[in-house]
Amino acid sequence: MPYDPTVAQLGLDEYKYGFRDPEHAVFKAPKGLSEEVVRQISAAKGEPEWMLKFRLKALKIFQSKPMPTWGGDLSDLEATLNDLYYYVKPTERMERSWDQVPETIKRTFERLGIPEAERKILAGLGAQYESEMVYHSLKGEWEKQGVIFESIEDGLRKYPDLFREYFATVVPPGDNKFAALNSAVWSGGSFVYIPKGVKVEVPLQAYFRVNIERLGQFERTLIIADEGSEAHYIEGCTAPTYSTDSFHSGVIEIIVKRGARFRYTTIQNWSHNMYNLVTQRALVHEDATMEWVDGNLGSKLTMKYPSCYLVGKGAHGEILSIAYAGPGQHQDTGGKVVHAAPYTTSQIISKSISKGGGRASYRGLCKVYEGAHHAKSNVECDALLLDEEARTDTYPYIEIEDNSAQVGHEASVSKIGEEQLFYLMSRGLSEDEAAAMVVRGFIEPVAKQLPLEYAVELNRLIELEMEGSVG
Amino acid sequence: MADPTVTVEPGAIRGADREAVEARASKDPAWLRERRLGAWRVCEETPMPTTKLEEWRYTDVGLFRLGEVEVAAPGADGAVPAEALARFGRERAAAGRVLQVDARVVEIELDEELRRKGVILADLATAAREHAELVEPHLATRAVPAEYGKFAALNGALWDAGVFLYVPRGVRIEQPVRVTRWLTRAGIAVFPRTLVIAEAGSHVAFVEDFASPDFEAPALSCGAVEVYASDGADVQYVALQQWGKGVRHLSMQQTIAGRDANLDTLVVNLGASVARVDLGARLEGPGARSDMLGLYFGHGDQHFDHNTRQDHVAAHANSDLLYKGALYDRAHGVFRGIIKVHPKAQRTDAYQTNRNLLLSPDARAESLPNLEIEADDVRCSHGASVGQLDQEELFYLMTRGLRRHDAERLVIFGFFGEVLERLPLPGVVEELRAAIEAKIA
Repeated sequence: MPYDPTVAQLGLDEYKYGFRDPEHAVFKAPKGLSEEVVRQISAAKGEPEWMLKFRLKALKIFQSKPMPTWGGDLSDLEATLNDLYYYVKPTERMERSWDQVPETIKRTFERLGIPEAERKILAGLGAQYESEMVYHSLKGEWEKQGVIFESIEDGLRKYPDLFREYFATVVPPGDNKFAALNSAVWSGGSFVYIPKGVKVEVPLQAYFRVNIERLGQFERTLIIADEGSEAHYIEGCTAPTYSTDSFHSGVIEIIVKRGARFRYTTIQNWSHNMYNLVTQRALVHEDATMEWVDGNLGSKLTMKYPSCYLVGKGAHGEILSIAYAGPGQHQDTGGKVVHAAPYTTSQIISKSISKGGGRASYRGLCKVYEGAHHAKSNVECDALLLDEEARTDTYPYIEIEDNSAQVGHEASVSKIGEEQLFYLMSRGLSEDEAAAMVVRGFIEPVAKQLPLEYAVELNRLIELEMEGSVG
Repeated sequence: MADPTVTVEPGAIRGADREAVEARASKDPAWLRERRLGAWRVCEETPMPTTKLEEWRYTDVGLFRLGEVEVAAPGADGAVPAEALARFGRERAAAGRVLQVDARVVEIELDEELRRKGVILADLATAAREHAELVEPHLATRAVPAEYGKFAALNGALWDAGVFLYVPRGVRIEQPVRVTRWLTRAGIAVFPRTLVIAEAGSHVAFVEDFASPDFEAPALSCGAVEVYASDGADVQYVALQQWGKGVRHLSMQQTIAGRDANLDTLVVNLGASVARVDLGARLEGPGARSDMLGLYFGHGDQHFDHNTRQDHVAAHANSDLLYKGALYDRAHGVFRGIIKVHPKAQRTDAYQTNRNLLLSPDARAESLPNLEIEADDVRCSHGASVGQLDQEELFYLMTRGLRRHDAERLVIFGFFGEVLERLPLPGVVEELRAAIEAKIA
């Protein structure tokens, strides 16, 4: 990109959330991964024996599985993993009142605009700093209706039976190497239960912040949407920019029971030295609907494919994915839909933008098992390339075992059309404005699914990135 | 079962060893002998593909039953079966013909006038001796070298029935050149190889036809095809695979198109028990274009796996791929394709479409249309679909008095018609229609 003074003034080269706080952890496990570290994490959380055993077993699975050879470049990851802190406890206890949260952490989240957002729109808010949730609250009206919104640790403590019934049933530790790692060292994340028929009309939100250098964050979220319920969960992620790489590997398990409707939105804006390898999966039962809205803007490498396993008749899954890959970034994202019951339907819409050597890859699966008759699935992937350094890939997998399935996949790759630009410029827009408008139109199907604040933020980010990028 | 005294690698094909390579190389010029031995080394060093390899994810090499076949002796005599001769001599217009029976080329004919113009149609081993200046730079070098993979290396070392076609600058061959490849018995492995060089401004259509009776036991054809179209040449390559039951078909094909060249391919898979075709088109010159067409029609337990690659190296080139498959019974169709646009290949237009019809409850299909794009000023798209026959179309035809079975045939014909009508070879298209018709009936 040629030097452009207006862009420089905007401070674009700086990652907006890259500030850092002094370190003030109350407990930090020794660097590196070992059985000892896993035991320390479990002990620090005062866990039941079964969970310690689960963790140790998962550790063995992690150690025995080879590093994936597909997706992004993981050649430096081994070294990064050996050099990580796997558990850093930021405070003595989690707070229910914002005022009680330590001043520095509070300031951080206020700079990120979090409590403000809560006051305005949210039903509940959780905030994770390093390895633990430092704050979790749920508005009284939802609490009264039996909604549970806790840190994952409190979920295990307070609702041991419910927790154990569902934990690791959607993503077992053996699922993949990083799910195994998360299962061994998980810390933080949310436990959510929406009772039968309860419709939580405003979103629940969790916010994840990594502050110190060389931290591995391994949040684990378990969500159960009981029959006929409805809810929307949003997560956001940021971290400071360090010279060494950090690592985030979450596991999100969602059970959407009969007739329920659940939406999970991620706006991932990690700093550009973060490996972000996440397993997100939902089991979708009869007539239930699961929607993933997945926005990946940050990180060095993201490998994340939100999945819907449609296991009940008439279940519906939707995945909306948007990825932005700037210089030095690789977004290897997409989605998976697995049709394992009759009359199931699904849709994946993926939009990616790449620029300045960034690489955006769509990787997706549409699988229809034998017997899942009358399944329908449609996948659309569009990629926009903003300059000649940009790279985009599409790797869809379509596996059909039932002949009554109707499955379609379409993808297109383009740069911003000269005709589109010309038309808009003939209407009086500058070239940059015109380009930004084309990009806004391109991501609009995803942006309009976001709550207003996030949509505005997404548009603003894209617009900033777009300045001076044409020509 | 394989003979336990034979080394398992490569691929447990009996008689696939260094002595066999040496035997084949005995009359070869030194450079070719070296090339065969080099390929053999690569073959020994390359592990057998497994379903853990992305490109072999859906096809287990075990399906090829390599342990049940033995390398066919080269040049073994024996009467040419009447069926093979009939196929070779069938009343089809051709500028030249080649007949392969098992591991040897038994007949070659070329129009006399074309010969005078410098066209060469020859057995590849003979051409390697007599026209080394043409063969050496092109054989197993840039198109299908041994490094292409285990089976390309195996062919590179052991190829037997080779065909060489050379079309000099500006020579236009109006009728197709036809190669008939015939297998007489089960239990053998043959390694056909084709090299086509079309010089600047020339034109030729090259049609390979693979056929045999049905066998109870496996046989293997492990082939390699290299097609070069120089600047402005216009080349069509057609592979019509109609092997009988029992035959396992492996084919590695690569085309290379120069500036403003037009290089179209059509791959048809109707026969064999298992067929795996790797087909790459490399667009090396600006303005090059390639239509890649494919058609597969499976019954019973047939398994077809297609692995295509559209390599855009040069700018301003165009490729358009359309593969269509219809699958009955327990047939299994795999399509994996990639469009690769290299960083300097601006102004590329590249398209890729794969459509599958599943006609029986137990038929299955996998479709993996991939894109890797490293230039920005491109137009690329791909589409894939898997579905049933359009019930409305069937219903319409049945209201017109057709029985269900006939209506289905008509719709399937229409489905394949989109592929066939893009092939600019009317005579060949007619034959294909007949072959498809025979299979539907």
